[in-house]
Amino acid sequence: MPRLSAVPGLPPLLACLALLAAWELAARAFGINGLPPPWTALRELPAIFADGDTLPNIFASLRRMVIGFALAATFAIPLGLMMGRSALVARFFNPLLMVIYPVPKAALMPIIMLWLGVGDVSKTLVIFLGVSLPIIYHSYQGARAVDDKMLWSAAAMGLRAPARLVRVVFPAALPEIMVGCRTGLVLALITMVTSEMIARQTGVGNILFNALDMAQYEAVYAMIVVIGVLGFGLDWGFEAVRRALMAWAEPSHQIAVGSA
Amino acid sequence: MTARRNIAELAVGALPILVILALWHFIAAARLAPPTVLPDPATVFLRLISMLGNPQFLEHCGITLFRLFTGFGIAVVTGVTLGILAAGSKPFAALLQPLIRVLAPVPKIALYPAFVLTLGFDHSSKVALVVADALFPILLATYQGAAAVEPKLVWSARAAGASQRRCLFTVVLTAALPSILTGCRISLIISCIVVFLSEMITSTDGLGQLLVRAARNFQTVDMYVPIIMISMLGLVLNASFNALSARLLVGFPERPE
Repeated sequence: MPRLSAVPGLPPLLACLALLAAWELAARAFGINGLPPPWTALRELPAIFADGDTLPNIFASLRRMVIGFALAATFAIPLGLMMGRSALVARFFNPLLMVIYPVPKAALMPIIMLWLGVGDVSKTLVIFLGVSLPIIYHSYQGARAVDDKMLWSAAAMGLRAPARLVRVVFPAALPEIMVGCRTGLVLALITMVTSEMIARQTGVGNILFNALDMAQYEAVYAMIVVIGVLGFGLDWGFEAVRRALMAWAEPSHQIAVGSA
Repeated sequence: MTARRNIAELAVGALPILVILALWHFIAAARLAPPTVLPDPATVFLRLISMLGNPQFLEHCGITLFRLFTGFGIAVVTGVTLGILAAGSKPFAALLQPLIRVLAPVPKIALYPAFVLTLGFDHSSKVALVVADALFPILLATYQGAAAVEPKLVWSARAAGASQRRCLFTVVLTAALPSILTGCRISLIISCIVVFLSEMITSTDGLGQLLVRAARNFQTVDMYVPIIMISMLGLVLNASFNALSARLLVGFPERPE
């Protein structure tokens, strides 16, 4: 990498500018109402935030996401670790997870709505389901890769199986678990937007798709930018936390982000 | 592994699925939930089987599959090409990396309204969304795989007279294959999910639209059919992909069993 990229924050900033330029060019080339130039779209932002409903909506979305994510982590990490250390548990759960994985969790929304209504519970449940799978999968992979010798030493020193899981397997698998959490974070965002699109009540997804339905194209693009910034910010924050926690585990695990 | 152990393993794995089906049946049969909310699993599966003989239903499945494969195919070709090129050229990587850092964490589904507005309601907007979502896992996996290729392999090929470009696409691409296939597998499942969601949001055809249509008409049984169908499609695609990658990876140490 050249020296220029050594300045922190500069390359992503340049990338943003390049994207804006590409948008501007595309807007001129298309010349249709459906693709306004970036400047007109971004000018909508103050109006959107001045509306008293927007910020509470964003916070409602974030609250659901955080709750769903936290619940998923507390449930999925122990399950994944147990699957990784016990062949029986793995064989028991693997096929079930394989069946559930390709189902779009947000597609369960119409059915869950019949059960639990359109409120927070359904949306949080959908986020929980979406986040759980990658965390289970990566905890499983992480726990499976733990060096047996460490477990033998722990056992020789008198640690029982549950204590070994907490004190040896969990820290050893933590880098891989964090990979799962980051994928889960991206998934949580996607599920959040989609569930709000299906059950229009509150949230950023609701604002976005209402603007689309009312043909307020500038607002649509402004909201896309808001959601994009939200995704980027959450990812950046998570990465900072992960780096602080994982400083001992270099080389850092590269992460394939961007999944549904 | 012996056949008997295989069967035992299958039985252990089938247990939780059977338990869930039995629970579902019990709740529906005991009328703990009204049948309009939770129909009996037998009813749902019979409807699914009868739908499999229905040409209209099959056409919807075909449309969904067409979008899935087109989007996935474009994502594989673009992702692998860009990943290999980035691994081969430092300036190109420096150009590409910040773009990926900004774009990868953006929830692509939020871009869908933009795709609909610019590309229309038809196939192209859905395919574009699948490409946007499937591209990054493949691109990142290719880049990481290609960057980790043993330099001695490249040196030997260069010493044997292969041009740099030829080297990239014969030596590096082949050596990075296990990583590329892992990325493709993640993307395949993602494509499945995304194509369904895009059809739920705005569409006139496809499996996702069938679900939305059934939900609007409160035909509960028909709501479960597309969901089970996409889950089965995902299973079949995943299994065929695993078979294909096991074939492609003959001789690699990473080859799955």
